[in-house]
Amino acid sequence: MKRPFLSASIFTFVVIFLFIYVGEVLTRISGEAVRSPIIEGSTAGVSPELGEAIFWGKGACYTCHSIGGRGSAIRGPNLGEIGPLKMPIGARAVLRAQERAKQGKPMAAVDYLVESLAEPGAYVVEGFKNEMPIIWRPPIRLKPDEIKAVVAYIQSQGGTVDVAAIENSPFFQKLKATAATAGAGVSEAWRPYIQGDPKLGDDLFFNPESPAGCGKCHTVGKKGEKVGPELTHLAATRTPQFILEAILEPSKEIASGFDSVLLQTKDGHFISGIIKQEDAASMTVADSQGQLQKVAKAEIAERVPQKVSLMPGNFGEILTVKDLHDLLAFLTTLK
Amino acid sequence: MGLLNRRFRAAFPCAVFLLFFTLFPLAFAAESPPEADYRSFFGINSRLVVWIVAELHLMYGAFVLGVPIFAVIVEYIGKRSKDPKYDNLAREFTKLLAAAFSTTAALGGLLAFSLIGLYPKFMGYLTSVFHESYYVYALLFFAESFTLYLYYYSWDRLQGKWKGLHIFLGILLNVWGTLLMLIANSWASFMMSPAGIDKETGRFLGSTLAAVANPLWIPLAIHRFLGNIAFGGLIAGAYAAVKFLGARSEAEKAHYDWMGYVGNFVAMAALISMPFAGYYLGREVYSASPVMGNNMMGGAFSWTFILQAILIGALFIGANYYLWIGMGRIAGAERYLKYIKYINLILLVCFAIWLTPHNLPLSAAEQLAIGGQYHPILKWLGLMSAKNAVVNFIILSTFFSFLLYRRGNKGRPLPFTEHGTTAKVVLLAVGVVCFLFLGAYGWHLFTLDPATMELSPDKARYFKFPALLLLIEIVAILAAIGLTFINRGIYGQALLFAVTAASAVFALGIYGFVIMEKANPFLRNVAVSQFLLVISCLITNTFIDIFLFKGAEEIGGIRWGKMPIRSQYTLIFLCIMIVLLMGLMGYIRSGLRENWHVYGIMQDLSDGSYTPTMAYMARVVGSIVLIFLTSIAFVFWLAGLGGEKTPAPDLASIAGGTEGEKKR
Repeated sequence: MKRPFLSASIFTFVVIFLFIYVGEVLTRISGEAVRSPIIEGSTAGVSPELGEAIFWGKGACYTCHSIGGRGSAIRGPNLGEIGPLKMPIGARAVLRAQERAKQGKPMAAVDYLVESLAEPGAYVVEGFKNEMPIIWRPPIRLKPDEIKAVVAYIQSQGGTVDVAAIENSPFFQKLKATAATAGAGVSEAWRPYIQGDPKLGDDLFFNPESPAGCGKCHTVGKKGEKVGPELTHLAATRTPQFILEAILEPSKEIASGFDSVLLQTKDGHFISGIIKQEDAASMTVADSQGQLQKVAKAEIAERVPQKVSLMPGNFGEILTVKDLHDLLAFLTTLK
Repeated sequence: MGLLNRRFRAAFPCAVFLLFFTLFPLAFAAESPPEADYRSFFGINSRLVVWIVAELHLMYGAFVLGVPIFAVIVEYIGKRSKDPKYDNLAREFTKLLAAAFSTTAALGGLLAFSLIGLYPKFMGYLTSVFHESYYVYALLFFAESFTLYLYYYSWDRLQGKWKGLHIFLGILLNVWGTLLMLIANSWASFMMSPAGIDKETGRFLGSTLAAVANPLWIPLAIHRFLGNIAFGGLIAGAYAAVKFLGARSEAEKAHYDWMGYVGNFVAMAALISMPFAGYYLGREVYSASPVMGNNMMGGAFSWTFILQAILIGALFIGANYYLWIGMGRIAGAERYLKYIKYINLILLVCFAIWLTPHNLPLSAAEQLAIGGQYHPILKWLGLMSAKNAVVNFIILSTFFSFLLYRRGNKGRPLPFTEHGTTAKVVLLAVGVVCFLFLGAYGWHLFTLDPATMELSPDKARYFKFPALLLLIEIVAILAAIGLTFINRGIYGQALLFAVTAASAVFALGIYGFVIMEKANPFLRNVAVSQFLLVISCLITNTFIDIFLFKGAEEIGGIRWGKMPIRSQYTLIFLCIMIVLLMGLMGYIRSGLRENWHVYGIMQDLSDGSYTPTMAYMARVVGSIVLIFLTSIAFVFWLAGLGGEKTPAPDLASIAGGTEGEKKR
C-alpha cells in the first residue's frame, strides 16, 4: 500500500471518529439520552402528571408553546405568566371564555381550554397564526383521555384542576364523538396484544360448558347451531379488529337478517329473540340460548324491533384476556 | 482486459435492472406464504439494513448525478478555449463516473430488494401509488446507461468538428440523470408530504402525477441537485488530493493540484447556494406539516441541526482555508493576505453563533449561575433571526474570499469603457433582472395585507422596513453598475458589499428580533428579503468582477502543484465532511417522519419505529461514511487497473500556467 493512501486513510478514520464522538457529546448535553418514554393515556390514568408528560413528549405541544421559563418555543403563545394577558393559562382561560361569550359563544373556562385543543382554529390569539394542528388526527393522534390529561395539566397552570368538568364539557363530548369516527388512513394496522392459541379457541367456541360457548348459536362448517350468523368463512371477509369488536360489542353492528325482536303476548308474557321463521299464522323465535319457540300471531299483542343484539354483551367480563385471544386466534383461521 | 472491463461495466447496471424488473412483479404475485408486514434480515434489524443500503445508494447516486454536470461544463470551456487540459480534466472526471455507475446501479437493486423483502406491506402500498412511474424510471435508467457509456467511450472519436455532438451527449446525460432523480425524489418526498390520496383512508385517488407532484417534491429536488454538485466536486477533489500526494513528478502534481482546485471551486459554487435551497425546503416542510416542521427545528431533531451546523461550518472554513493556502501559489496574491485574518474571524464568530443552541437542559445550580433558563446575552444567539443573519454573513464572506483569490495575480483592470458592447449589455441586463426581482418583492411587502398572516391591520407598519431595504439595494446595485461604467468598478463592488452586509446581516438580523416579538408570522418574509439582498449582490458583483478583470494585466502566473501537503489534507477533510453531511441530512429527512412510513397516512408498526439518539445515529452514519469512502476508493482503484490510459494531459502547460489559464 502506498504511504500517501495509508496516511489519508488514517486521517479519514480520525475525522470520522471525531464525528462519532461529537454525536456522543451532543447526546449527553442535549439530555436526549434520558428522554422519557411515551406514556399511553389509557394505561396511566387521567391526571395533570400524565398531561405534563404528554405536553413535553408525545403531544409535541412544547415544539410551539413554552410555559413561563420552561421550554423555548415561541410559535404559539406562552402558557405561563409571561404569556398574553400576563397570567398563566389556567387563570387566563377565565378571561378568554368571557371574551368568547362576547363573541356570541358562551362558555366556561374549561370549555375554552378544551376548545383550544379540539378546535384550535375557533379562536386564534392575536399575533399568532392559525396553524395549530388537530391533535387527535395524524400524525399526533392523541386519544381523548390523553387530551383530557393535557387540559388538566394546563388547568394546573394557575387554575383549578377539574377532570370531571373536562369530561362533561360539551366540547369534549363532541371531540370524543368526532375522534371516534375519524379515520387514520391505512395507519390503523391492528395487532392483537397477545398471541392466542387457535386450538384452545376451538374448544372455547364449541364446548357448551366453556364461558364462550359460541357454538350454541353459531355454525362453523357442520358444527354448531344456526341461531346467529354462520361463521365458516368469517375471516375471509372480516378483519381481526372487526371480529374482536363484534365479540365485545355485539350490538354495535348487527348482521343483516339477525335483528332481534321483542314480542309481548296478550297474556302479558315477553319473548325476545331472532325471528327464524314467519308465516301468516305464526312465527318461530330463537332465544339467546338457541331455544326455538313458536308463537301464534293471534296471541301477539305488540311486536317491537330491538336495537340490541341477542348475543350477550358481557364477553368482555366473563372471558379472560387469554380466552379472548385464543378465541380470536381460532376465528381468524376461518377462511 | 480493457475491452472485457469496458463491456462488463456497460452491461452490469443493465443486468441489475433487468433482474430487478423481472423479480419485482414476482415479489408481489407470490401466493404463499402469507404476506407479512415486516421481516428481519437474518436476525439483523431491518431498519438498519435499509438505512445503510439506502444511504450508500444515495451517496453513489449523488456522485454519478453531480459529476456529469460539471464535467460537461469543463468540456465546453475546453472547446471554447481550445485548451486540451480542460478536455482531459472533463474526461478524467467522467472516468470516475463510469466506474461508480455500476456500483450505484447494484446498490439501487439491493435497496429495492431489501425494501420488498423487509417492508412488503409498505412497498405494496407505495407500488399501488407509484407503479406507473417505475416503468418510466426503468426506461430513463436505460437511457442514462447508454448515454453515459456512449459519452465516455466516444470521447476520442467525437473530437474536432464532432465535439459539439459529444457535448450534446453530455447534456443529454444530465437531462436523463435529472429526470431520474426527480422520479426517485417523488417517492421519498411523497413519504413526507403525501398527495393524490384520500387523507382519511389513505386510498389512492388514481392520479400518479398528483402523487408525484407532492408539496416537497421540487424543494427537495432543488436541494438535492445542488447537494449532488457539491458532493461530486469534493469527491473528485479528494481523488485529486490522494493522487497529488502520490504524484512522482512536478507535472503530475500540477495536474492534480488543478483538478483539486476545480473540484473545490465547483463544490463551493454549489455550497454557497445551498443555504437558500435549504431554507426553501425547510419552509415548505413547515407549510406541508407544521408538526413535522416544529419537530425538525424545535423538537426531537433540533439538536441534529447543531451537528449539521458543525459540519457546514467545517465545510465553509475548510474551503476558505484551501483558497487561502492556494493564494500562496499565485504571484501577487500576497497583497490580499492581510484580509484573511478578518474573514477568518468573521467566519469563526458566525459559526459560534450558528452553533448556539437555544435551549439547554440545565441543572438548578446552573440556572442559578446564569440567572434563569437562558443566558442573558447568549439566549438571543440561539434564535432563528440571529442564525439567518450569520448564515448570510458566511455566504458573503466566502464569496469575498473567492474574489480575493480570483484577483490574486491580477494587476490593474482594463477600463470598463474599453470593453465591447456585450459587457455593457450584460451588466445592464443584470441590473434590470435584480431591479425586477427586488422591486417586485419590495412592492409585495409594501402592499402586503396583514390579514393574510392573521395579523391585525396595524402590524402592516412592520412590513415597510424590509421593503425599504430592498429599495436601497436596488439603488446600490444601480450605483455599482454606474461606477463600473465610469471605470470605478472596484468601488462599486465595495459599495454593494457594504450595503448588502449592512442590510441583510445587521439591519434585518436585529430587526428580526423585533418581528419575532411583534409579528412573528412575518419572519419568513424577512428571511426571503435577506436571501434576495444577498443573492442579488452575489450575481451583480460576479458579473462586475468578470468584466473588470477580463484582459487585465497579470502580475504573475499560477504555479500549479506548488501547494503544501496540508492543502491536500484539507481537500480530503472537505470530502469527508460533505459525505458525513449527506449521511446526517439523509437521516434527518427520513427520521422526520418518525413512526410513519407515509406521514400521517401509513404508520410504521415495525420494531424500528422510534427515533434513535444522536450517539447511535452518529455511529451508524460514521460507519456508512467509512464503507462509502472505502468502497469508492476501491472502485476508483479498479477503474485505473485495466481501463484505457487517459491521454496524458498537457501537464507542462498546467505547471507553467497557460494562456488559456491566464484568460480564465
